[in-house]
Amino acid sequence: MRTEFITTNIAIAEGAIMAGMKFYAGYPITPASDLFEYLAERLPQAGGLTVQFEDEIASINAVIGASWAGAKSMTATSGPGFSLMVEGLGFAIITETPLVVVDIMRAGPSTGVPTKATQSDVYQVRFAPHGIYSIPVLIPWSAQEGFDLAIRAFNIAEALRTPVIILSDAVLAHAWEKVRIKDLTEIKVIDREMPQLKNKNSWLNQKSDLVPPMKVFGRGYGAKVESLIHDERGWYIPNNETYRKLVWRLVRKIEDKARFLWDSVTYLTEDSDYLVYAYGSVARPAYAAVKELRKESIRIGLFRPRTLWPFDYFNLKKASMKVKKVFVVENNEGKIFREVQRHLRGKEVIPLPLIDLEVPPPEDIVDSIREWL
Amino acid sequence: MRKEFLAAGRGGQGILLLGHVLGHAVAKYTKFYVTVTESYDAETRGGDSKIDFIIADKPEELDYFKVRNSDVALFMYPEQLVKYERLVKDNAIVFIDNYFIKEVRANRKWLIKEAPYTQIAEEKIGTHVVANMIALGHIIKVTKLVPVEAIIKSIKEVVRKKWIYIDIKAFQKGLTL
Repeated sequence: MRTEFITTNIAIAEGAIMAGMKFYAGYPITPASDLFEYLAERLPQAGGLTVQFEDEIASINAVIGASWAGAKSMTATSGPGFSLMVEGLGFAIITETPLVVVDIMRAGPSTGVPTKATQSDVYQVRFAPHGIYSIPVLIPWSAQEGFDLAIRAFNIAEALRTPVIILSDAVLAHAWEKVRIKDLTEIKVIDREMPQLKNKNSWLNQKSDLVPPMKVFGRGYGAKVESLIHDERGWYIPNNETYRKLVWRLVRKIEDKARFLWDSVTYLTEDSDYLVYAYGSVARPAYAAVKELRKESIRIGLFRPRTLWPFDYFNLKKASMKVKKVFVVENNEGKIFREVQRHLRGKEVIPLPLIDLEVPPPEDIVDSIREWL
Repeated sequence: MRKEFLAAGRGGQGILLLGHVLGHAVAKYTKFYVTVTESYDAETRGGDSKIDFIIADKPEELDYFKVRNSDVALFMYPEQLVKYERLVKDNAIVFIDNYFIKEVRANRKWLIKEAPYTQIAEEKIGTHVVANMIALGHIIKVTKLVPVEAIIKSIKEVVRKKWIYIDIKAFQKGLTL
């Protein structure tokens, strides 16, 4: 273990290296460029390779290729770059390619404000590729969590053979904080399962019926990587039976594991009459606001998911069981509010969409909550 | 424990480096947790330059990123004093570079510590660019926020090689103010 004073971007890069990342491909974009720049120097020292491609489309495809060649791979970008990666991401989903995409949100739509933060991409990362699927999205609130969740993201990607998104934002990206860089003895690293060679032409030796072992290139397997609807062998079969089987499996391999993926934290909720739901950078001023309101003897607590998708309705329901109202504070027009409301039917759920290029300050959150008490 | 520190000046005065050296020292050589956010203009010289520095003994006390009621502040240029004085609370210890800031008009009860950091840098060290390290020395002497040794180690690890010796010299000069 060592302690460093680093930004969330660098913490994510260090976490990825600790998880065993060997390949990074990217195209520079504010506020993700410095993560890329850091890895250009750092990843080769850790025995890996960092490559700049002509654009984000090439980058995500290079990451997919590297993953199939056996290297844990990652790319990082921001909204406009993520838009370009969407097609490749869909390809990674249907080919069940383990990889990590770091999306550092900036103000959008389009080029928006490159240097400023909002939380406007919370649906983009979950729903942008077309088709039927589910995709895990992790959301840190500090540099330390950038490090920790990067390791977790790789572990989920490898265990479930899926792309995983780390959703950060421009404010977090460049906040310098104390980070404990754990060493390999303190963390758990998961590697993808590969078929046993004696069954090299078969996918049928898998332990789980949801996650098939991966036939990594160059290891003697008859690997077929197919983006059309395919059966266990990778053959294109466009009928209902094959289609349903594949897409249900793509959904179920994530959603059936949701309770292992959910990772939510509560603060001051034991005796709460009110609950604030906030995530990512906004959860920090929201927590400050909760503490302010507590000083006035208002019994209020905070619920903060570290896994945004799949949506943690289970722990949210548990935390909000006895509260009168739930406030959803987010730096967008009220996106996740809809999801919270959908799961807390019958409960009064109030959207507090505080759009702020800097992260809404605690005063604004306190004032907005007070109007509803 | 949660303390806030704000430092602001003109681009080129070394505000961001000061924040980086101090943050590095706190993170690596003390038990405290720290959050530092920087804001700066597009110009390398002359624009606005500010650090929001929050230190706490528990990580969950580092809630909001920005300084709102600073306990300690450093102002290196008059414009930024006017712009950010509202973020500094009453009874705060406020360090002023009185080579540039001739008059503190803020109607607040501050404990003001002033010295002509820029002039001292020029006359005693030979270059005005180390005014930030002189100010840092002064801040450490008065607030005892971090042990002197930790800052010196931090300068060695953070600052570019050719500036290490001169920055340490400037920092030590600041300790004598």
